[in-house]
Amino acid sequence: MSDISKSQEYMSFRSTIPQRKVVVDDDNTKEWTLYEAGPKTVKSPLVCFPPASGTADVYFRQILGLSALGYRVIAVEYPMYWTMKEFVEGFRKLMDHLGLDKVHIFGASLGGFLAQKFAEYTSRSPRVGSLVLCNSFYDTSIFQQTSSAPTFWMMPAVVLKKMVMGSFHKTETESHIADSIDFMVERLDSMSQQALASRLTLNCMNCYVEPQKLRDVDVTLMDVFDECALSLNVREEMCKCYPEAKRAHLKSGGNFPYLSRSMEVNVFLQIHLRKYDIGSLRARELTEEEMAMLADSDAGKSLQENYEKERGKEVRPKDRM
Amino acid sequence: MASRKKVLLKVIILGDSGVGKTSLMNQYVAKKFSNQYKATIGADFLTKEVMVDDRLVTMQIWDTAGQERFQSLGVAFYRGADGCVLVFDVTMPNTFRSLDSWRDEFLIQASPRDPENFPFVVIGNKVDLENRGVSGRRAQGWCHTKGDIPYFETSAKEAINVEQAFQAVAKNAMAQETDVELCSEFPDPIKLSGDNNKPQGNNCPC
Repeated sequence: MSDISKSQEYMSFRSTIPQRKVVVDDDNTKEWTLYEAGPKTVKSPLVCFPPASGTADVYFRQILGLSALGYRVIAVEYPMYWTMKEFVEGFRKLMDHLGLDKVHIFGASLGGFLAQKFAEYTSRSPRVGSLVLCNSFYDTSIFQQTSSAPTFWMMPAVVLKKMVMGSFHKTETESHIADSIDFMVERLDSMSQQALASRLTLNCMNCYVEPQKLRDVDVTLMDVFDECALSLNVREEMCKCYPEAKRAHLKSGGNFPYLSRSMEVNVFLQIHLRKYDIGSLRARELTEEEMAMLADSDAGKSLQENYEKERGKEVRPKDRM
Repeated sequence: MASRKKVLLKVIILGDSGVGKTSLMNQYVAKKFSNQYKATIGADFLTKEVMVDDRLVTMQIWDTAGQERFQSLGVAFYRGADGCVLVFDVTMPNTFRSLDSWRDEFLIQASPRDPENFPFVVIGNKVDLENRGVSGRRAQGWCHTKGDIPYFETSAKEAINVEQAFQAVAKNAMAQETDVELCSEFPDPIKLSGDNNKPQGNNCPC
């Protein structure tokens, strides 16, 4: 077992937060896996999309850390969807099932790509409040696997796992990063051939995001300055794709900063979500003390202004029509 | 040259509320100034790419709340700071007297490796105002006793000296960075072909 799985923190996560399975499709085998924490009164929670190799629990440090601050956080794990259409429709049905109108999505790698595709799919009647994309991409052609992707379903698990693990460099890394890799390898090992093949198919099948459809979405781009599976070029392309986005750089963290640098990642998530603290898109309940401060302080005014600015952004496209 | 490691410098701005921390950051990054006062909540950050000694550096500048305790972000944002800007208002002597405690606060929270030589910069802001309360000499004197911290008198409103002050903190932070690189136990592995050995350099993601 990896050090993280053995840690007190992870064990307390597993013993306090129940794992839920939800089926929203006609096909009974398509099961979503969920971990959820935080107040149910919040209607725009932060939803976390895992990378291709990850299960929903890779976000346990976000679930624990942010729910302690009053946020409602839901980490999900995708069922075996083989096409993008299946995925976006499936996630919309899951949101309907959970009674969520709009959510904020934090997605890493494949998770970030899927989050963008979902925002694009719902651009006409938005279901996405905002996006935080971590070490992500907007075009699958960067992996140069588009031609072999249709055959992933029949490849042996060991080949698929090797494909993913090839990008986990573990030389001379600092201990937190090394631990995060061990933990991810463990998650990867636990996955069935079909589950992994379906994610890699979504990951590599010819597909890209149309950025013009996401123009009005509030985006924060998170990336690391040390070694990770994506080249510098891809990271810079991503910034060009979202010129308005806030850039949350981390000095280091490797491929899985939400595990290896969770404190810093959580601070970035808090700053990203703070502008929604009041209003219908809020991702947390304020404490009584904070409510009192809001009522008569400058902080209240600042938040109100920020909130109105965001609202203004949202209203604009409709005005144009 | 092109393959040189990208550098991220984390700079934190501290000082009493109302001295102009947010204004200084906005003036430096976005070249904007607003007369309206808006309290900062918790903390916020902006990034700017600058050239320091012919090297492209990304500066991540953290603006902190002077007094507000609304959703405190804890100490996580102090971590890994490369530089710190201490700000006071030249018309308000009490904001100058607070510098000591801000400096101590920073050294405790961030606990840098070499506190004696940590790259601080002191800014006396609002020199555009008439009613001066802290003389340049007095401020210089304090900086001298704290290990010759560079001192700048600025006006975020009129964009006086702001660029120079931040450039100084970036330059000093870079100097420390290079020192660390030189004594690093594990030098970067030598890559014969950079990113070109794998086409595009992207493996399957994860």
